[in-house]
Amino acid sequence: MMQEATPVKPDGRIAKTRVSKTRSFEKSLQRDGSLYLLALPGIVILILFAYLPMSGLILVFKNYNFNDGIFGSPWAGFSNFEFFFSSMEDAMRATRNTVMLNVLYMATGTFFSVAIAIILNELRSKWFVKITQSVMFFPYFISWIIIGAILFSLLDYDKGIMNQMFTALGLGQVDWYSSPWLFVIVMVLANIWKSAGYGAIIYYSVLQGIDTSFYEAARIDGASRWQIITKITVPMLIPSIILMSLLNIGGMLKGDLSMVMGVTFLNPLLLPTTDIIDVYVYRTAIRSGEFGFASAITLYQSVFGFILVLVANKLAGWYDKDSKLF
Amino acid sequence: MQTTENKGLLILFYFCIAVFSIVCLVPFVLAVSGSLSTESRIAAEGYSFWPRGFTLETYQFLFGSKAEQIVRAYSMSVLVTVLGTASAVLVTTAYAYVVSVKSFRFRNVFAFFAYFTMLFSGGTLPWYLLSTKYYHLDDKLIGLFVPYLLSVFLMFLMTNYFRSIPHEIVESAEIDGAGHLRIFFSIMIPLGRVGLVTISLFYALQFWNDFYLPLMLVTDQELYTIQYLMYNMMANIQFLASGNAAQVGGAIIAPPLETAKMAMTCLTVLPIAILYPFLQRFFVKGIIVGSVKG
Amino acid sequence: MTKKKGWFSLLLTASFLLSACSQGNNESANGGNGNAGAASPSAESGIEAGGGLAPAKLKIVLYGDESNRMKELAKTEFYDVVKEEINAEVEFQFLPWTEYAGGKTDLMLSTGEDFATYTDANYMVKSVAKGLYTDLTPYVDAAADLSSNVDEASFKAFQLDGKQYAVPVGNKPNSAEFYSVLVRQDLLEEVGMTEVTSLAQLEQFYDKAHAAHPELVGYAGVDARRMLLYDYTDKNLYWQNEFIALDEAKQDDQIISWFETEEFKNYANLMHGWYEKGIIPKYAATNTPQLQSDWNSGKAMFWAGTAARPFEGAATISQAVPDAKLVNYFLGEGRPKISRGTYSTAFFVSAAAKDPERYVMFFNLLQKNQELYDLFAYGIEGTDFTLDENGRLTKLTTDALIPDWLLMNKNFIRFDNTVPDEFIAEYKAWDEGAIISKGAGFNFDNTPVKNEETKLNGVLTEYMAPIGSGFVDYETAYPKALDRLKAAGIDKYIAEYQKQFSEWYAGQQ
Repeated sequence: MMQEATPVKPDGRIAKTRVSKTRSFEKSLQRDGSLYLLALPGIVILILFAYLPMSGLILVFKNYNFNDGIFGSPWAGFSNFEFFFSSMEDAMRATRNTVMLNVLYMATGTFFSVAIAIILNELRSKWFVKITQSVMFFPYFISWIIIGAILFSLLDYDKGIMNQMFTALGLGQVDWYSSPWLFVIVMVLANIWKSAGYGAIIYYSVLQGIDTSFYEAARIDGASRWQIITKITVPMLIPSIILMSLLNIGGMLKGDLSMVMGVTFLNPLLLPTTDIIDVYVYRTAIRSGEFGFASAITLYQSVFGFILVLVANKLAGWYDKDSKLF
Repeated sequence: MQTTENKGLLILFYFCIAVFSIVCLVPFVLAVSGSLSTESRIAAEGYSFWPRGFTLETYQFLFGSKAEQIVRAYSMSVLVTVLGTASAVLVTTAYAYVVSVKSFRFRNVFAFFAYFTMLFSGGTLPWYLLSTKYYHLDDKLIGLFVPYLLSVFLMFLMTNYFRSIPHEIVESAEIDGAGHLRIFFSIMIPLGRVGLVTISLFYALQFWNDFYLPLMLVTDQELYTIQYLMYNMMANIQFLASGNAAQVGGAIIAPPLETAKMAMTCLTVLPIAILYPFLQRFFVKGIIVGSVKG
Repeated sequence: MTKKKGWFSLLLTASFLLSACSQGNNESANGGNGNAGAASPSAESGIEAGGGLAPAKLKIVLYGDESNRMKELAKTEFYDVVKEEINAEVEFQFLPWTEYAGGKTDLMLSTGEDFATYTDANYMVKSVAKGLYTDLTPYVDAAADLSSNVDEASFKAFQLDGKQYAVPVGNKPNSAEFYSVLVRQDLLEEVGMTEVTSLAQLEQFYDKAHAAHPELVGYAGVDARRMLLYDYTDKNLYWQNEFIALDEAKQDDQIISWFETEEFKNYANLMHGWYEKGIIPKYAATNTPQLQSDWNSGKAMFWAGTAARPFEGAATISQAVPDAKLVNYFLGEGRPKISRGTYSTAFFVSAAAKDPERYVMFFNLLQKNQELYDLFAYGIEGTDFTLDENGRLTKLTTDALIPDWLLMNKNFIRFDNTVPDEFIAEYKAWDEGAIISKGAGFNFDNTPVKNEETKLNGVLTEYMAPIGSGFVDYETAYPKALDRLKAAGIDKYIAEYQKQFSEWYAGQQ
């Protein structure tokens, strides 16, 4: 019908696909019917395990007790949020730390994942790619507790390998575990190390699914390897990068408690930068056994993330309508 | 000239990947060597690339009289991973296809319907209540994977792969009168196989690594998976070693904490790390076979 | 069918005999000779089994690993004995320790499951406020045997407003927990010293041992406020929680806001000195768990002591240092040891339980007599353990059953033959002259100051804990920490605590 009118963008997708409006209504219903059928299992799972349990959000505004049950318990208004927002200084710091670390993680993580994917895509040795790809996946399996223990043996003041090296080189010892800002670098590096291999697989598989004819054409035109990467490969990855970012942005206010616990051992001297919301909630509400407080803050994280996603989704839509999540 | 520039770049690429791979491998080597070291020397001297005071004590401690249980837990993990991955991939790709159909008026509604659950959750209490009291998933095999059949993250990832399939192919099929079911099974699945392999892999890892569902829903030891068994042991070892035990009662044994952590890492990572390249091939084959039949 | 009938007639007979027999049986059981064995308690007690009790099902949740032997016994002997004693089918469920006092335990309570498990005073107060525990007051009589083996004060510790919400088990000397210094006597003697009776001697010990073994850590802990008490105050302080202490030397209802005292300052300075000097290693600020593993592997000179630690800890250290010897010392004298009660823990029953009384009857079995204690803690004689002529225990399996720390009762406990007699004598005499804390049995209702308490915990972990452990200098760090403490609402918290405590204290007089 209109194939000839639709320009193929470099990412191999059809830029604009207008669907013939002349299609008869019956036909549309018939076709969409099978779509509902395909989506049905997923819908059921989402309803059973996500939407029905969401009724529990009501608990955030209640003082739960067993005898009255979830719905009968007395209302508590916003009092479950009070502990967090009445110590504004802590709340702001925790929010700032969370956003700061997440932005750093996202930026560096994406950069390294994409870089690794592109490089893997360039390499021609099959066995080398296979082996390195598997190996880069290893850190993903290693729990933060283990990573923390290994980092400790690197960074310990007296016995740590780093400081032993520094001393041998005639440099001074560094007290990593009492330098909050220095430790941000450690955390970022640890995060790259743990997740870059995992992320790279996503981008690498996108590249593998791409028609090789673009490359052939470019090569015939005499483009250098570097030009091919910057002019063809990277643009091909942009939609995926946008998608991944959109998916991650909703979690902007959520942090990984197990990471901070594993890597810093909740060292109080590092809290100025590592006290993310989840850590703050852990060491206040959860330690006090006030689980209602904890779920209230989870809601705060979700709402904030939701707003961010709505904005980001709009922005993505301006860039390219097809990049929108929904 | 061009070729030397290309060669140089290529060598640099090989070098970068090799270095990063080694950095990724280091902790794993440390873990293997740590698990074979004696606790006291690890405590005193830290980790090394070669076991300090080679011993199998830690594994003996972990396995103890539990060898049979560990074998059972491994097979349970394999079963859950296989069943879970197969059904999750089916559910997920079907949903992803719906979201990726551009002509479908409500695709954004479906996308939003899924995305919303990534952000908001009602917490564990209602989830647990529904799963045990209403869906009766406790102490059932299906309880170990059904709640995770749709990962919204992977669903969107799959949508992304579907969208990169040239639209001409779909349209020509539409002209031939193919319905969505046929397009999905005989065009999208075979053409999206790279994506399928990827999300299968991620699902497999997710099911393999999960200890939360067994923790919440299982009391019957027959249904313990290896990750849960390890989580359980680790939690208890850590508790015994933390000194909290003194608050509750006081523990008498001191388990090999550091080396046990390492051994557990090896026990859970090793099988999948070794199997990973084969799994990939297996998935690729499975999908090709499946699509031919479809 | 016939089997059931037989059972029924047995029950009937039992009901007639019950009142007459049970008393006498118990007494003979208490003084029981070692070879009573495993089969006999079930046979004996079968006769006295609960008269006319309807069948019931009990689920007992325990934390930790379930050993293979426990799994076996749970289905055989344990099951049979409980069935015969109280006509209940008991099932044991094991959860990881992470689920203790929260996690899945909370979920199970909140969704109305029928079970019982153990708790501490903190978790009890919170759970009772949510209506998650059954009030066991009407059923306390069902634990008559237990009551004779468990301290009265232990029962009080689990009462709220005069109601019994949990039944304590265990009875062991545990006064002055962490008030003594547990010293590596072998090291002490190696450097030519014999004992440690003051802080000066302790530091002297460190200096000498450090010179001989520079790789050793001094103190394997981050909290020494109890053992150092003799040096920074004349009061006999006992802590209610992290924020509040009582002076046990005074007969009044005054609570002390610990972090705002001069004592805290002196203590923090002492600790900072230790930290600077290296007695507390530099890594302690980060890797606290490492301290414990250093101690366990014989890499530390001293630790905080309890009555049982000299022999509990010796087993582990001796794996690394075969001739290690541990001795408790107090750094001063003249202050009575303080006890919170001699219980190990306490069992509660979920609010949804159908038959709370039967649960209480089960708890009763745990501390009823020597035979049952042996069975639950050690297993079957001959199969799981043997006893020598002195009643010393040799375990034939390493598998743990119902955790013995939980059951530990000085009336029943058996020591293995590696523990020297003098240790046992010292252990049993540990509580002599000890007093029960004047705050024992007081349970704070935090509802009016929930927000404050939560925020205070944040200040504690970030500011007060590092000062108290000496990681930072008191003079520089304290002003800001105090500001935070005030901002978090310490005054309101202390006032509320004082109010409730005074009311309760007046009621006790």
